[in-house]
Formats: sequence, C-alpha cells, structure tokens
Amino acid sequence: MPSQAVLPPLLKPYISSPSPSSLTVISSVLGATGNWLVLRFIYATLATAPYLHDASIPRNEKRKVVLVSFLRGWDFWRGEAKRLGLDLTRLQDKSQFAFVDGLSELFSVSTRPAPSPTPVLPGSAAPRTTLPVRSAPGVVPPRSGLHPALGTSTASINDGPTPLRFSGRGTTALDGLERDILRAVDRLKSTGSKDQEEQEEVSVLLIVDQPDLVLAATGPALGIGASEMGEWLLGLQQHVHSTVMTVSADTPLIHNASTFASQQPSPLETAQAAFVTGSAHRAETVIQLRNLETGAAKDVSGVLRISKGGAWEESCDQHADSPWEEREVLYFMQRDGGVRVFGRGE
Amino acid sequence: MSFRKRNIGLSSGLARTPAAHVPGQPLQAAPSPAPSPGIRPSPDDGRPTTSTGSLSLDNLLAGHAGLPMGKILLVEENGTTDFAGTLLRFYAAEGVVQGHKVHVVGVPEPWGRSLPGLIGAADATEDKSLKRKDEKMKIAWRYERLGEFGAGIAGSRAATGDQVQSAADGDQDSKQQAFCHAFDLTKRLTHPSISNMSFIPLVPSRESPFLSIYRRLQSAIASSPANTIHRIVIPSLLNPTIYPPESSQPEFVLQFLHSLRALLSTYAARVTAMITLPLSLFPRSSGLVRWMELIADGVIELCPFPHSSDALATSGAATAQEEPPQGMLKTHRLPVLHERGGGSDKNVGQDWAFILSRRKFEIKPFSLPPAEGDKEGQEGSQTSGMPKKADLEF
Repeated sequence: MPSQAVLPPLLKPYISSPSPSSLTVISSVLGATGNWLVLRFIYATLATAPYLHDASIPRNEKRKVVLVSFLRGWDFWRGEAKRLGLDLTRLQDKSQFAFVDGLSELFSVSTRPAPSPTPVLPGSAAPRTTLPVRSAPGVVPPRSGLHPALGTSTASINDGPTPLRFSGRGTTALDGLERDILRAVDRLKSTGSKDQEEQEEVSVLLIVDQPDLVLAATGPALGIGASEMGEWLLGLQQHVHSTVMTVSADTPLIHNASTFASQQPSPLETAQAAFVTGSAHRAETVIQLRNLETGAAKDVSGVLRISKGGAWEESCDQHADSPWEEREVLYFMQRDGGVRVFGRGE
Repeated sequence: MSFRKRNIGLSSGLARTPAAHVPGQPLQAAPSPAPSPGIRPSPDDGRPTTSTGSLSLDNLLAGHAGLPMGKILLVEENGTTDFAGTLLRFYAAEGVVQGHKVHVVGVPEPWGRSLPGLIGAADATEDKSLKRKDEKMKIAWRYERLGEFGAGIAGSRAATGDQVQSAADGDQDSKQQAFCHAFDLTKRLTHPSISNMSFIPLVPSRESPFLSIYRRLQSAIASSPANTIHRIVIPSLLNPTIYPPESSQPEFVLQFLHSLRALLSTYAARVTAMITLPLSLFPRSSGLVRWMELIADGVIELCPFPHSSDALATSGAATAQEEPPQGMLKTHRLPVLHERGGGSDKNVGQDWAFILSRRKFEIKPFSLPPAEGDKEGQEGSQTSGMPKKADLEF
C-alpha cells in the first residue's frame, strides 16, 4: 500500500460524495489518463474502515459501484485497485462492486448470431456460451469459483461480468448495451436487500469508462451520433445514484470541430466534440486532466482542473466546512501507485 | 567507414554484455524464470515482457526493458522514409529467432524475406573488443580512466539502462542476448522457423476489410497451444497501397483496433502487437488518428530530418565521434506507465534522437551542441559531460 493516504486531501471533497443524480465528467488526454482518478472514486465509495482512517467521508454499507469499461479489461482494474489496497474481487463477492466488460466482446465478430435482444433471464446461460475471456491461461487464476459451470442454470447473483456486445445499429444497439448495464446495476441493488424499500436505499455509483469509444467506432454510418449517446447516458443515469464518466478530450477531438478550424471536421470529430461538450454542460462537476503545457517534467504527471459543470447548483454544496471551489492543481503519480496532488509552486 | 563508430553512445549496455559472460561460462547458469523463450519479467514490476528486437527501443519502454505482453505499440512516422518499417522488421525478426509465431498483416510474403540477418553473440563480442582496442589507440592514456568523451551526454540514457539491469545484474546480462538479438540490415535472415511466419492478406469484401484479418488472427491464436507466443505485425496501417480506401472509415479501423485490443487483453500473456502508421497520410491532428493512439498502449512518433538538413545535422552531432542523428523520436504514450496515469519515468520528457545504422536502431537523448566558438556554452556542457578539472590534475 502506498505510504501516504490513497485519497489526496486536496481531492477528497471532490470525489468522496457525488450528490444525487449528478454526473461527473472526467476528461483526459493521450498522455494524461484518468484511470487513477476513477480508481479513487471507487476507493472513496467502497473502502471501509480498515482502509480509511477518516470519519469525514460518509460511509455507508449501501454504497455500491458499477464500473463499465470500454477500453480496459478486468485484469487492469483489478490489478491497479490492488495497488491501492482495494480487493475488487472480494468486493464483487460481497456484491458491493460489479464490473461490466465493454472491451472483450464489444465488436467481436463471431459467426454465431448475436444474443437475442430480449432480456436474458438471470438464470439462463445464454451470455455464457463463450468462455469468459479472462480465464486466459498463464495469468492470475480467474475467479473460476464464481462462474457457474457452463450450461447449468443456477441463478447465481455473482455470475461474473457479462461482456457487453454491440449488435445491430443505431439506438437499438445502444439500448442493448443499456439493458446489459442496467441488469448489472439491478443485480447489485437486489442483493443483500430484502424488499423494495431497502433496494431504494442502495445508492449505486455508476462509472462509465470511455463511452466515447462507442461513438467513435460506430459513428453516423451505424446511426449513432452525439445526441443518441447523450440520451443513452441519460437513460443510465436515471437508474443510479450518481454517475462518473470518463471521456477523451484531446485537441484534435475537440477543437477540430470548431468553426474556426482550418479544415472541414470529420464526422468523428464533430460527434466527439458535441458529445463531450454536451456532457460537460449536463455535468455537475468537470474534472479535466491534461499534460503540463510547458512540456513533460520529471515530478509532474499532469494538470488537474476541477470546475463546475453546466448543471452546477449551489445546493450541491454539501461541504460547509470546506467550501467547494474550482481549482487547478498538479498531480504526480508515484511508482508505488500513490498520487501526490499539489498546487503550483508548492 | 562509419558503422562501427555509431555504437558509441548507447553501447555501454550492450558492451557490458559480451564482457559479462566469459566464453565458457554456461549461459544457462541463471535459472530462467520465464518458461517461454524471449520472455522475461520486467525489472519494474515483474510482468512478462518481450523484446522489440532493438535494444534501445526496449530500454525506452518505461523501465520494463521490453514490450510488456498483451500490449500494442503504435509507431508513427512522418515523411516518406521507412524507419518505422525497419523497427517493425527488427520486431518480426526477433520473433522469428525466438521461435514465436509471427503474424504479418496486409503485406505479401516477400516482406518476410527481407528481414534483417541475425548477428551471433560471438560476432558482437569480436566487434566490440576490436572497437575497444581501436579506442585505446586514440584516447590519451591519462584520460582513459575517465571514460569516453560523450558518455556524459548519453549518460542519462545509459544510467537508466544500468539501473534497469542493476536488480539482477550478472544474471540479467547473460540472458540479455537471449532476450534481444542484434540484426544486420544488409543481410537476410535465414532461420529454420522463418517459414513459420504467417501472412494474412487483405481479402476484398463488402463488409469491413479488417473482418477477415481479425478472424484469422483470432482463430490462429485461439487454436494454438497455450505456450505459443504470438507477435502481430501490421506494417503501414491504412496505407492506400495496401488497404482499400474505405478501411480508413472510423467504424472499420477503430472497431478493428478495439477488437485487437480485446484479443490482446484476452490472451494477455501470449500476444504482443506492433503497428506502424504513415503520418503523412493520416496526420496526428485528425481525430481518427488520435483515437487510434488512444486505443494503442504505446505511441511513438518518428520525425526523420529532411535530407536537406544533412549538413546541419552533421554539425549537430554532439561530438566528432558520434554519428549525426537521423531524426527525432517522440514518445507520446508508453505502455503501462501512462495507463496508470503517467509520470515518474526518467525517460519521459526527454528529447530523443534516433540513428539507424547497419546493425542497430539506436535511440539516445537529443542534444544540440553549443554553437561554434561559444566558450561559455562549451564549458557549460563540459561541467556535465566531462570530468572536473581536479580529476585531470596529476
């Protein structure tokens, strides 16, 4: 475990308790990725007393996290979380965490027909017809104990992450993705709570890692644009307590689409810019990660800027003791996985 | 006349290698922890890595001293030169020599016949010792203990290399040759397993042109025994002489790269991929290329100097002994490191120059020498690069 606190004090107020039905957008660029921040969101929500010697963070057994990742696999997240002292596998067993795999089979082209679009019953083995890809030999043994044996139809709650699959086109395809994600959310909500009321108490933090990939890799040819993606996200938001989304905001992806650009923007650039700026307007908080403008430095990984999104409301300000303010800080990832966050010149 | 001297800057890592294992010292003295040939644990965090076929590129990769398994390296190149293609050939040749299964996408078989020839370790030793002697003739004896001039300039690079290796010094060194080989561009590779390479042609189809490629890659990897190591080589992706025009549609190429990434994460312990991309056709300022970079794990850009500036580049050589650099190399993203959030690597933020010689692709820090007659500048560089005056006193 890193020697210092996992949650840098400067960041704590911003990531520990997103307000209800809020959207937090983390924008990153090629050289400054936001995975470490995503992990800290998970940590702030799930880490319990042994990990967290701090009473200032409201801790609730009913807080759960669903992580949907389109660009990174389970091995990555599990490995990196372990570096923070967070055992995602165990949390998954305890139904506090669920991972939805949007990487391994999203665009996989197989000869067999795509799973039927009707919601699969929890007990059916349909999504299991392919082996869970994480069981690649040679790597860490998969959580094979969690997987119900192939073909059996025991309605297991922990039947592991079901890989998302993009099938069809346009909103139909997005609806399919939404359904799969919501199934994971519902499953997480229903475990450990006996009745409807208790389920309502469960607050699920949904983290969607790089949904803009879906937009970029489909585009108008498949009938998906920025507005469809926006609606898709809105549909997901309705079912969870709060949402964190990471998007890419590299210069070519955002600024090529501006009217001042020298050349005609491609549909990809237009859609990405519209989606990212649109989300920022809908967000309560925008956390922007970027490289240091003055070039790389040995002790700075990047710049982190926290600003109010378009949907910011004064009532969101829950931390009377530490007034919420927009700020820009530098951060530095250490080899041990810890992160140091500091102001300029400190 | 010159190829021998080019080896000076980075050679410390390699030069130590032959010195490290005396002839007769059993190579297998070090118990090899890696079950597969050409795989070794990263000195940084122990994850399995494999060599890219060029030592200095290996050393550039964020302290892992190799390309971590399951990662995609994207090499972009400006202009019409083919330095990236050469890197790719080293990568493929290394795979052939290690007995890995090499899959080459999009180009016909003659590409495989143009792989650079292998230089044996013994050959390298001979070369090095010859060079050593050569050097001794030239350097005045009293400077000898102070190391080569110019070593300070390459110093930071070499230091990193040293540090990387210092963990398990002797053992690591003797394995070095087995991990990464040296190749000669003027020769052709002849190796029993060269026929083992598979070439995946583009098949014209009405759907995505990448679909058949992906299927073949996937079935080849899925059906192979669990201990087979695969290398996926994709030369000049989207180049219109190879790929049909519609392949640069984002829904085709990005879906393909995403599936490739998924494939590599599925078989994370067995597959690596290296892709080259011509930037003159697909500039980095376009959203498509940026997304390709975001999907890749490592992104390296080569910016060769134009020919007209040869004269300038010659005077730009840091010392008379050094070869002028042939271009700049930029690292935009390094595998693992940037996925974790970036930072803390010594190599990040350096300006790199590359020199391609007959026998190696060398990457070293780029530095412009002080202007001629610029006394202060020269002294400035001397304080860092040269021994202090006190050391020179008798």
